[in-house]
Amino acid sequence: MSNWRKWLAVVPAVALVLAACNGEEPVEEPPVEEPVEEPVEEEPVDEEEEAVAEEPVVRADADLVIWADDTRAPALRSFAEEFGAENEVEVALQEVAFDDIRDRLITAGPAGEGPDIIIGAHDWLGELVENGVVAPIDLTGLQDDLIDVAIQAFTYVGQTYGLPYATENVGLFRNTDLVPDAPATWEELEEIALGLQDDGTVRQGIVWPSEPADPYHNYPIVTAYGGYVFGMEDDGTYDPSDLGIDSPGALEAANKFAEMIDTGLMSADISYALMLDLFGGGDAAFAITGPWALADFPDVNFEVSPIPPVDGGTPAPFVGVQGFMISAFAENELLAQTFLLDYMATTEAQVALYEVGNRPPALISAFEEVADDPNIEAFGEAGIDGVPMPAIPEMASVWEAWTNAYELIYEGEMEPEAAFEDAASQIRALID
Amino acid sequence: MTTTTSPGTDTQPSVPGGVDAAIRHGDHPLSRFGDTLMGVFVKLVLLGAVNGLGVLMIVRIVGLDGPWWGVATVAVTTLLLDGIYLGKRKLPLKYLIPGTIFLLIFQVFPFVYTFYIAFTNYGLGQILTQDQAIERIERVSIRTLPDAPRYGAVPFADGDDVALLLTSPDDEVFLGTPDDGLLPLAELDVTEVDGRIVAVDGYERLSLGAAQDRIDAFTALRIPVEEGEIELVSLSAATMREQTRFYDPDTGLLTDELTGAVYAPSDRGRFVNVEDPADTLSPGWRVVVGTENFVRAFTNEAIRGPFARVLVWTYAFAFLSTFGTFALGLLLAITMNDARLKGRRIYRLAMIVPYALPTFMTALIWRGMMNRSFGVINEMIGVAVPWLNDPNWARFSVVLVNLWFGFPYMFLISTAALQSIPSDLYEAASVDGASGWQRFRKITLPLLLIATAPVLVSTFAFNFNNFNVIYLLTGGNPPIAGAATPAGHTDILITYTYRIAFESGGGQDYGMGATIAVLTFVLVAAMAALSFRWIRPLEEINE
Repeated sequence: MSNWRKWLAVVPAVALVLAACNGEEPVEEPPVEEPVEEPVEEEPVDEEEEAVAEEPVVRADADLVIWADDTRAPALRSFAEEFGAENEVEVALQEVAFDDIRDRLITAGPAGEGPDIIIGAHDWLGELVENGVVAPIDLTGLQDDLIDVAIQAFTYVGQTYGLPYATENVGLFRNTDLVPDAPATWEELEEIALGLQDDGTVRQGIVWPSEPADPYHNYPIVTAYGGYVFGMEDDGTYDPSDLGIDSPGALEAANKFAEMIDTGLMSADISYALMLDLFGGGDAAFAITGPWALADFPDVNFEVSPIPPVDGGTPAPFVGVQGFMISAFAENELLAQTFLLDYMATTEAQVALYEVGNRPPALISAFEEVADDPNIEAFGEAGIDGVPMPAIPEMASVWEAWTNAYELIYEGEMEPEAAFEDAASQIRALID
Repeated sequence: MTTTTSPGTDTQPSVPGGVDAAIRHGDHPLSRFGDTLMGVFVKLVLLGAVNGLGVLMIVRIVGLDGPWWGVATVAVTTLLLDGIYLGKRKLPLKYLIPGTIFLLIFQVFPFVYTFYIAFTNYGLGQILTQDQAIERIERVSIRTLPDAPRYGAVPFADGDDVALLLTSPDDEVFLGTPDDGLLPLAELDVTEVDGRIVAVDGYERLSLGAAQDRIDAFTALRIPVEEGEIELVSLSAATMREQTRFYDPDTGLLTDELTGAVYAPSDRGRFVNVEDPADTLSPGWRVVVGTENFVRAFTNEAIRGPFARVLVWTYAFAFLSTFGTFALGLLLAITMNDARLKGRRIYRLAMIVPYALPTFMTALIWRGMMNRSFGVINEMIGVAVPWLNDPNWARFSVVLVNLWFGFPYMFLISTAALQSIPSDLYEAASVDGASGWQRFRKITLPLLLIATAPVLVSTFAFNFNNFNVIYLLTGGNPPIAGAATPAGHTDILITYTYRIAFESGGGQDYGMGATIAVLTFVLVAAMAALSFRWIRPLEEINE
């Protein structure tokens, strides 16, 4: 708890930035890789944060061009080479920063400079499909091999647009030296966390990102009270006209957040980097985050479990699904489909992607192969109650207004319920 | 106000009549350099590179089916450059042309393009051309028939004819051809090598690479069967599919055969159901919508809501940043300029540090240091100051951090300007018995302002649009309670625009972003014009 630790708070930021400008020119445009506004779509300070190349990516000269981020590209390389050698085609694998792939596809695709295949997240679908830059993928025959929620996530207006390879959702990290057994309820967790905090064992009992406020990490608590973001229709698609941020359950959750700030259970000053630092240094007993952070706590003993019931309600985290998509402007669509269906929907490929990305695979056979890791199994278990993150473009209007509402609650600037009601009316005005 | 993006005013030669006078007298070193052997060689190499680039661009434009005027522009420009630099005369042009070309490419073109985008609906769902949109709508409407069997497929070819070796779900194997449909393998002449079928009835097995070379034939391949047509879904699988939406180029209408609905193109760049205006198809295409974005910017409550507050704060931020950095930079420059100060070089070097570090790195470090509970500043003073959490503190913090970023630049400018003030003026003043303050007020400041006033104007304009500092330090937060649209207490126009155009607006709205950029440009340009009028009397002092 000495002062040097506070200095450490800035170290990840420095490291991140140094990594970003390593060997590259300083970024001229505002660097979008810092998760200031939408912590969900841009996973905070992940290994994916390192900007790969700032110069515009131009389609490589090959039969099949794949854009993947620098984490996954190495895992794909051997499969791409195998595909190329077995079938006498030329395959090019280009590294593009994860967060840049979507925007670059939208601009490069229609101009004929885009790839055939990209790696991406399912919540990009709304934007990509509305813009007409991705092509459907026929998953007939694979339905039983893939996790249901993964296929559902990649379905948009009756068509499937991606081959999923991994799922991700938040769970509860617990320092097993401080808390040997997982709490059965959220109330028990609060008691333990506040106890450890008050007797000075830890700096903060439980940490999850709150600076900036983070509707993604907060969502399980909202759903535990029956709140939701968009209503779901019977076929599993989200209905943008049914906004649930001012539903009774969500308002109850808003009060819960104000209460947690009051009791000191929750600090409003935890950035993603601070969370990693506090939990990773044993200064926090619990953390709420996702499988991408599994490798970030080498110095503490920890276990992952689903977030326990809050006030009797079951928390449902957002489930994000990552997958491959085919560009609508692919020069070689049939070849791209062949590569995905025959080479990427395999246990071997999905396990390879799991090994670099740490997320539970979407292919059931691959998931079973890695599920002997209890933490991965726990994330899978936590995701069972989860709901796919809405992919509809209206979701873009939600993040910012909801983030602001949380900040106003954290700072005591507004009554909790009024803050959520205001956010809801802001979002409705933007959607209409 | 940092780094390379500072406006160009500070790089222009400030020596009055320097280059021009030198050219007029014909003794400028460069004009002689051009006549030496080395000079001719360098000139030819550079011109060769320019011509090469021109040819490359023309080949590229033609290759992409680009417009004829693109080719013409490149050709004419290249020839013009050759004419100017190979000719003996037109000496002033030789100096002006490179700058003019860069001005056109990097200043005029982006502005004209931004202006054009401001008049379109370019944004979510409207990024394609109409032809591309039609193709996408038709393609996405292709559905696999319910209960259609999925065949394993291997591409075969006989000369120009292509066929597929199809394996049904019950492991029956057929040769599928466009003319004869499915032929059971048992009736055909099959050649096997190592248990692999390599030829059937004159058709030979193709590798994927070989199939890829005839991809158009395979994409178009339809094998007729009783229930419909079999087509490839990948190069190793085939099934029966049908297209449900068709565009008729003669009528310009698009029909959905499943529902019978007819869609007509609207002037908003969408296909709209003629009977139900709420039913539109994605994607749409980009169209010119006239002044609509401007009308929206001024009338839409969601955009206009916090606009006035944001505008006022933008001016305050730019003003405080500019004059704060100028005052601090000048003060330090005067101090460092004093010959009595020991180790001035070291101090001066230290002053430059904030200027030399990239903004986006140091802004994040400041953000960490200013964290209320865990930041090092509050740890040291032992008080939980809400640096970035309270509206007024947050405003103070962004100005403070920007002061830190900005003063080295002003320090450099002021130091240079101070050193150019003739010392005999000060000697004369001391002889006349002027006090230190009088000397500063009557000599230093007026002469300094001549050199620095344009810099102040450009710094003001830069801070007016200082996205990095605001976005990275506070992201515009803390939020304004009860605002009609998400906005924060430290948002300036440019970060507010970013929110509207890219973050909160339900997807990306380039048209609206460009509109607000144009409006911001008008504001800044008007201000700059006024400022320069105000500066003019200062410049006359020098003449």
